[in-house]
Amino acid sequence: MVDPVSRQQWSFRALFVALALAVVFVQVLPFRIGDSRWPGPDLLTLLAFSWVMRRPDYIPAILVVTVTLFTDILFMRPIGLWAVLVLLGFEFLRRRQPFSRDLPFLVEWMMVAAVLLGMTLTNALVLAIFLVEQPVIGLAFLQMIISILSYPVVVALSRFAFGVRKMAPGEWDALGHRI
Amino acid sequence: MARDRGNSDDYTRPVRRILIGGLVVLCLATFLFWRIDSPRAERFRAQIVDAVVPSFDWALVPVTKVAGMIEDFQSYTRIYEQNQELRRELQQMKAWKEAALQLEQENAKLLDLNKVRLDPALTFITGVVLADSGSPFRQSVLLNVGGRDGIQNGWATTDGLGLVGRVSGVGETSARVILLNDTNSRIPVTIQPSGQRSILAGDNSPLPLLDFLEAPETVRPGDRVISSGDGGVFPAGQLVGQVVLGTDRLLRVRLAADYERLEFLRVLRSHPGEGITDPGSLVAPVRAPVPAEGSNG
Repeated sequence: MVDPVSRQQWSFRALFVALALAVVFVQVLPFRIGDSRWPGPDLLTLLAFSWVMRRPDYIPAILVVTVTLFTDILFMRPIGLWAVLVLLGFEFLRRRQPFSRDLPFLVEWMMVAAVLLGMTLTNALVLAIFLVEQPVIGLAFLQMIISILSYPVVVALSRFAFGVRKMAPGEWDALGHRI
Repeated sequence: MARDRGNSDDYTRPVRRILIGGLVVLCLATFLFWRIDSPRAERFRAQIVDAVVPSFDWALVPVTKVAGMIEDFQSYTRIYEQNQELRRELQQMKAWKEAALQLEQENAKLLDLNKVRLDPALTFITGVVLADSGSPFRQSVLLNVGGRDGIQNGWATTDGLGLVGRVSGVGETSARVILLNDTNSRIPVTIQPSGQRSILAGDNSPLPLLDFLEAPETVRPGDRVISSGDGGVFPAGQLVGQVVLGTDRLLRVRLAADYERLEFLRVLRSHPGEGITDPGSLVAPVRAPVPAEGSNG
């Protein structure tokens, strides 16, 4: 029943949840109260994007939505909005993942940057339409830029620390599809 | 790319699409619910935070302590200059202490002469800061006291010296305090000595903004800012900070509370001011029923 391929999948899913919990835990620690000049990168989104560009079978959409919705609730964001944006960006990247497998990293980076930009803009737009009090727009864009800049770091970390790499030609996924 | 999709993809893809669509609709519905019925959604959020964050407590406390120790250790390296600085400050403080003692005595005498009774209802509950908001755009902290301890929404918190924020979101064992520099924070303040009323509006910067000033020319940097209690939701007379002139030439407030190290917060138990609903009884007091007087006397 438990074949090595699906065991690997499930262990990576568990690893994603564990990393998400660790990120939440560190962000929630009361260190940076009042220090708001340099917002940190949105690590969870970056992690989800970098994994889906490598192994989409490790990270199902429902997991990403659940984790993001949870952080929405915990981080005092409008509940559900960022989650739906992450889901849309995630699905967009997943759709393009098979075609971008052979492209250089720079192209992937640009694509992720474009998706993040679209998400940030849509977020600001929707909040404006719904007349929600929103943070200073410059700060949101600063966070987006910092997120984009930290994308290679997240990729390198998942590549070398956790071993999330692109599938080589000839590998099989869990359902026996040839990649 | 030449990808040879397996046949089963043809069956799973529509199902997948429906699933994703369902998730999108679900999230949007959650967002709409949050927007439409905000208090209920925020109560729901408070319940979840209440369930999740205190369970981190066992790990939060040691990590915070270790970080504090590292910070303290770093400060050892600057111990000489700190010592000099402290000596200088001590010298100044002695002078201030003398002045404060004299003022205290004078104040006590004047209060006695005036027969002023300070508000005895302003007692406090002290809580420990558990966690912060985790988002760079939200300035709030989570306390380990909540509905169980009688905390209510809207109560003010101080760190013993200056006002820190307002309780917004109460769980059973935790309460969230929106800090004064959060973008959602607006409190009425008075600026002394000019007596100007203003609104202290947080804008996510360390120095919140003084908004709706009637006569900005009467306010100078260095003036004291205290809460005014206008509107009846916030206790009056709590020290907030000092007026400073920001780099953008706007009047801002340097908060008296030390936001760098918020560890213990006092939640001030404030009671709603008694409203005067019946103007007639003000002009001529209503006669008490005669039997009641008889039983008293």
